Amino acid sequence: MQTQIGVGVLSLPSDLHQVAKQDGWISLAIAGAVLPVILFCLFLIGKQFPDSTFEQMTEKLFSKWGGRVFSFLYILYFSSVAALIILLFGRMISLWVLPNTPFWAIALCMVIVGLYLANGGLLVLARFYTMVSGLLPVLIILTLFSFQEVHLMYLMPIGESGISKIFEGASEAMLSFFGFFVSLVIFSEVEGKPRQKFIIILLAHFFTFFFYMITLLVSYTFFSTTELSLVPEPLLYMLKSFELPFVARIDLFFISVWFVSVATSYTTYLYIASLGLKQLFRTKSIKVFNLVISLFVYAFTLLIGFDVAKVDRHANVVVYGGYIFSFTIPIVMVVIILVMKPFQKRKEEAS
Amino acid sequence: MGFFKRLLFGDHKRLHDRESSDPDKEPEHPSSTKLSVNIDYLMHEFHRTSDLRIRILEKGQAALVYMESLVDQEKIHEMIFKPLELGDVEHISDIPNSKVTLNMEEAIQTLLRGHALYMEDGLRGVYQFRVTSSFNRSIEEPANEKVVRGSHDGFVENLMININLLRKRIENRNLTVKYYRLGKKTNNNIALVYIDGVTDPSLIQEIEYRLKYISADMIHSPGYVEEFIEDQTFSPFPQMLNTERPDRVTANLIEGRVAIMSEGSPTVLIAPSTFFSFYQSSDDYNMRWFTGTFVRLIRLASFIIAVCMPAFYIAVVSFHFEVIPNELVMPVKQSINGIAYPPLIEALVMVVIIELIREAGIRLPQPIGQTIGIVGGLVIGDAVVRAGLVSNLMVIVVALTAIASFVVPSNEMSTTLRLLTFPLILLAGTLGFIGITFGFMMILIHMTRLESFGVPYTSPIAPLRIKDLKDTFIRMPIYRMNNRPKDSRAVDKEVIGPSREWKQLERTNNEQQPAGSQEASQQASSESNQSSD
Repeated sequence: MQTQIGVGVLSLPSDLHQVAKQDGWISLAIAGAVLPVILFCLFLIGKQFPDSTFEQMTEKLFSKWGGRVFSFLYILYFSSVAALIILLFGRMISLWVLPNTPFWAIALCMVIVGLYLANGGLLVLARFYTMVSGLLPVLIILTLFSFQEVHLMYLMPIGESGISKIFEGASEAMLSFFGFFVSLVIFSEVEGKPRQKFIIILLAHFFTFFFYMITLLVSYTFFSTTELSLVPEPLLYMLKSFELPFVARIDLFFISVWFVSVATSYTTYLYIASLGLKQLFRTKSIKVFNLVISLFVYAFTLLIGFDVAKVDRHANVVVYGGYIFSFTIPIVMVVIILVMKPFQKRKEEAS
Repeated sequence: MGFFKRLLFGDHKRLHDRESSDPDKEPEHPSSTKLSVNIDYLMHEFHRTSDLRIRILEKGQAALVYMESLVDQEKIHEMIFKPLELGDVEHISDIPNSKVTLNMEEAIQTLLRGHALYMEDGLRGVYQFRVTSSFNRSIEEPANEKVVRGSHDGFVENLMININLLRKRIENRNLTVKYYRLGKKTNNNIALVYIDGVTDPSLIQEIEYRLKYISADMIHSPGYVEEFIEDQTFSPFPQMLNTERPDRVTANLIEGRVAIMSEGSPTVLIAPSTFFSFYQSSDDYNMRWFTGTFVRLIRLASFIIAVCMPAFYIAVVSFHFEVIPNELVMPVKQSINGIAYPPLIEALVMVVIIELIREAGIRLPQPIGQTIGIVGGLVIGDAVVRAGLVSNLMVIVVALTAIASFVVPSNEMSTTLRLLTFPLILLAGTLGFIGITFGFMMILIHMTRLESFGVPYTSPIAPLRIKDLKDTFIRMPIYRMNNRPKDSRAVDKEVIGPSREWKQLERTNNEQQPAGSQEASQQASSESNQSSD
């Protein structure tokens, strides 16, 4: 059960790695190293309230109405991430695979898959993720085809761009790990001891990290720095140039497989958003909210469509939202917990 | 002597036959001492049906009643009249192998089961003789589940023979059979078979609970039962394994599953079953495990081929021509160029034609069926290409798909596969690769959502259990599968104890005595035999 969630978490952010144009592999390494700290914060929060859902946590920490407002904001954030995933996916598909297909058809595919999967509940989500995690090795193997032509020289002047630049890149790179926040929301839904869960989350994180690292290194060593600034999706361009004896254009297969992992990440955001709504309204069935959020996301994405400028603006909003919701608030929560602990103890002693 | 023994040591309780009706309760229609009343009642209840035979005996003082169509005249003679002729007994009522009842309802039931009733004027008891005739075909190998090696018998339409086949294979007191009478009008006998102590009691309870819920006039085949008790009817995937092979049922029972058999049908349902159990064949276990693994991999590959192949071809031809390597582009293009229809229509037509040929081949008598196969497959296939209606690549693709769909050892799964081809063809025709991925994802999601009696359908893949993968994609050597797969929810885990430890013993013995005396190794093997027992 837990491993499956772990796998689910690791397949989450793979869609965003196309977006975040990393400044360098060092940045990624830094980001990968810093993140466990935040994961540890999440772990602390989760440990503090082992049985309560995320909404209950916020209500306990920020009083009843404050908590509700926070929960609502989070739901908004999650749905906007879901929308962003669809937008980027749609753009990618229309660029690479189906240039003539209207946006609504592509988005509809995604929305239907997400709705059907999310209606199955957490257990089905977990099972499905385990099943499709078998595809990750396929992705990695496809990526490794290009190892025949890597030039390690391209990595060479290490640290040339300066430390500040690298750190700036690291913060960019962190965005591609945003999926980790999900682990807090479903923390209470998963069986097992907090410690075990934490280890699994960490493992999932490192797996994702290594996956990014491989793709990043391969594309960095394949293209030179100048080329890289011209190529928006280096990995796909690289795959395009290879040809197996029986198929040309590996990139098309890569995208097909990639579709699956994007769908899983979309579904996760959909699921946690409607889970939040469900807890906010205190009802039993989640299916209605799945439908509501799906429709909302679908309508929202239709409004934006292929418009690149709007997509970028939306992406920016989500990224900043990500900073606030995934980094700042957890840390604030931890601080509050640490501050409140002595008070609570005193209260207990007094009573 | 015997009387005193019983007086001193017996427990003075009279044993009764096991009956379905409660013997203590006063029957609703008690039999009368007057023969004519009883006969009239029977005649009335059977609406004067013509095959109800009443033979008047002893100058109108007694009658033998039976259903002419259900009894064996030989047996009547053998059981009832022969003892009389030989002078063993004075009256028919004295014949020991009869069963007496005072309940006319019960008498009607047994009459319908093919018993003969003997009634005498002045006696309340109705004497029942079991003279049922039954017509059975021999227990031949089922035509749709042939194996190369292994047992060649199959279930027949008679429930007793079927249970006999199972009991012969499992000589164990824990093999439990439970009868259920289902079907309000037809009153069919359904048997639930399991091994007590291995099968999860809650699973049995669940199945019993669902079986008791069935309220239908007719339970005419296991297909009926299946649709009444399966978890999800709105699914193309079969959730219970249908088989006609006793060895397959035996293996599943030992794994801790439950078999549901019914009178009048050779098909046995096995629950719970997972997706992978449809790809296991008894053949796999009679081969070397290398070959077994190879064959099983081929079968699973056939799943992908059967579902995806036409869709993939359409997607490539109509959307992603660039996927084809340069050398192949020209031949492919040439074969498609002359065709007037889009590949989508072409594929749909061809797949439908294959289905037509298949269905026609089944319905027609055997010799004509083969002719239809040849006419349909060869003549139409060739002519259609020459006429320029369908490209020859498409014929290859569709033929491969059809072959791949027949590889599955289970007929239900094979039909499912062919059905799933259609939506994927449509999706591939509209969205290309993305459509295929979308369709395949929907299928996978659907499969993960399915459960068969509380067991996830995709187990052991989706709740991943590496130990149980020994018998899914690959077939490990049998002695390695020492635990029951968890998806059968068995209570008793171990199925194979240490059986090949003789090998290790041999090795250690050889190390101790480098000369390797023959006696030592023989001793070792006999020791291990004891331990494996």
